[in-house]
Amino acid sequence: MIPAWLLDVFAAVMLVVAAVSAARLAAARLRAGVDANADVDGAHLLMGISMAGMLASGLHTLPNNVWVAIFVAMTVWFAWRVYADSRGRTVGALAAGHHLPHLVHSAAMVYMFAAVTAGSSTGGAGMAGGMGGMGGMGTLRVPTLGLIFILLMTGWVVVDLDRISRRPERRAELGQLRSVLWRHRAAAVAGPVVVMPVAVAAVAVAQTAGPASGSSVEAETATGESATDQPEGRALRGLLDHRTADGCRIAMGVTMALMLVLML
Amino acid sequence: MVSDSTALSAGRLGGRASAAAGQRSGDVDLRRWFQLGLAAIWLLDAILQYQSFMFTRGFSQMLAGTAAGNPAFIAEPITWAARIIAQHPVPANVGFATIQLLIGFGIAWRPTLRAALAASVVWSVAVWWFGEGLGGVLTGGASPVSGAPGAVILYALLAVLLWPVSEPAKSPAPFVAARPSGRLTASLLWLVLWGSLAYLAVTAANRTAQGLHDMVAGMADGEPSWLAATDRGAAGLLAHQGLSASIVLAVVLALIAVGVFLPVPLHKAAIVLALVLSAAIWVVGQNLGGILAGGATDVNSGLLLALIALAYWPVAAVTRGTPDATEAPAS
Repeated sequence: MIPAWLLDVFAAVMLVVAAVSAARLAAARLRAGVDANADVDGAHLLMGISMAGMLASGLHTLPNNVWVAIFVAMTVWFAWRVYADSRGRTVGALAAGHHLPHLVHSAAMVYMFAAVTAGSSTGGAGMAGGMGGMGGMGTLRVPTLGLIFILLMTGWVVVDLDRISRRPERRAELGQLRSVLWRHRAAAVAGPVVVMPVAVAAVAVAQTAGPASGSSVEAETATGESATDQPEGRALRGLLDHRTADGCRIAMGVTMALMLVLML
Repeated sequence: MVSDSTALSAGRLGGRASAAAGQRSGDVDLRRWFQLGLAAIWLLDAILQYQSFMFTRGFSQMLAGTAAGNPAFIAEPITWAARIIAQHPVPANVGFATIQLLIGFGIAWRPTLRAALAASVVWSVAVWWFGEGLGGVLTGGASPVSGAPGAVILYALLAVLLWPVSEPAKSPAPFVAARPSGRLTASLLWLVLWGSLAYLAVTAANRTAQGLHDMVAGMADGEPSWLAATDRGAAGLLAHQGLSASIVLAVVLALIAVGVFLPVPLHKAAIVLALVLSAAIWVVGQNLGGILAGGATDVNSGLLLALIALAYWPVAAVTRGTPDATEAPAS
């Protein structure tokens, strides 16, 4: 049997993910009033809480049926977002965004809660109506679907790792662009002769940075300054950075794949 | 003056961004995707290593079982390692799983790619010996259908074939696997791999009338119904056909082995054949690595053989030694 302390470690990681996601939601509202990624952070928050409860019986919160309803709604929401994103975009671009992976994550959560065998859900954890504690968990119905989810999770984890480890070089490009903007800030009022080449470069860098970080590049180049220019803004910026959300998704993907493997 | 310098700076930035985008969308991406495939398989291995069975004495007994039939100088270290793992199953297995997790993460994380690939070679060779008994190639019972020459040694081979190169060179490589060491070396590695599989397919143990049948039929237990039915169907076809089936398999493997030395159309045909055979072996002979039955420590060889085959697919203008996207300068 897998040691309980090891499951507790993964449960703790999920709680950290939930806490970070809650902080991101709050910080985004404080900063701009509107959180463009509220659905993504909200999904991380709910998944973190539910998965922590699945891993450690002491962290069990809601009955299975409630979680199934929540994740079905989440799956429908992200399916709609993917559909909306799909207009004029390639499959690769969709996969690189946030919504398709979250659609898969949400669907995997529905599967985990709905397909677990009845005997296991009342098993060792002793939590009526719930599936808290992997120690008492049995097997999943339709295990082939579970394997497909596992392969998707692991694939997205490595692609996410690759993307966020690629960003520093892009950030260096952005830093150079920002320095150009600062140097010639005064000249920017001179007219389109100055602004246009900079805008062209900004668009080029934003396109290179990809869809996930493109919006932040555009926002920064539009104002000519960023939250990093203020000391108190650095922590906020770090919290709201896309890499933080990516990191949450990586942790969630690994943990979800582990849970699926344990339940196969 | 100001507008000129701004335009120049912006132009340089835009040009660099375009170049970076081109580099990412060009040939280097293909190798990176293969590296990410390898990283995903390592990650999956790590997750499989966290299964409950691996924390029991059954795991060490499974390792000890690979010593059987091997020469003493191979078998004794296996037995010694299995005994240590049996005494400390939890810390040992947590260590194994964590190492594999770090290798998978390291390959996916660009700055640590080289270190992770190097570590994967060392770890793979160690596991091939202490965990797989050299894949049973010295026991006489190894079969390409069941996973010979041992899945884990294929990880090491992939790490070598997908090694990132940074020195520019003049001659273009005809396929991704040829980039680190050149076409001849890569082709010889391919020949050795698939040639050895062809040899193993016709060893005495695999030529028996019911050898392949028993191997495939024995896989059905614990599998989902569709996979078990596939096993039973394939076993039915192989019943009492062991000799002819092993000869056909060996011929196909031999054709694949020489395929990379042939003109491009035949080279491509050999790769397609390798992909189809790898898929068939992975599904029928290895039941997707046995993951669905529980207790699997890795994905077995079929998936890795397919990934290797993809790295040999002829592509135009793969410049040997072109700096990898993972090594692109930060500015």
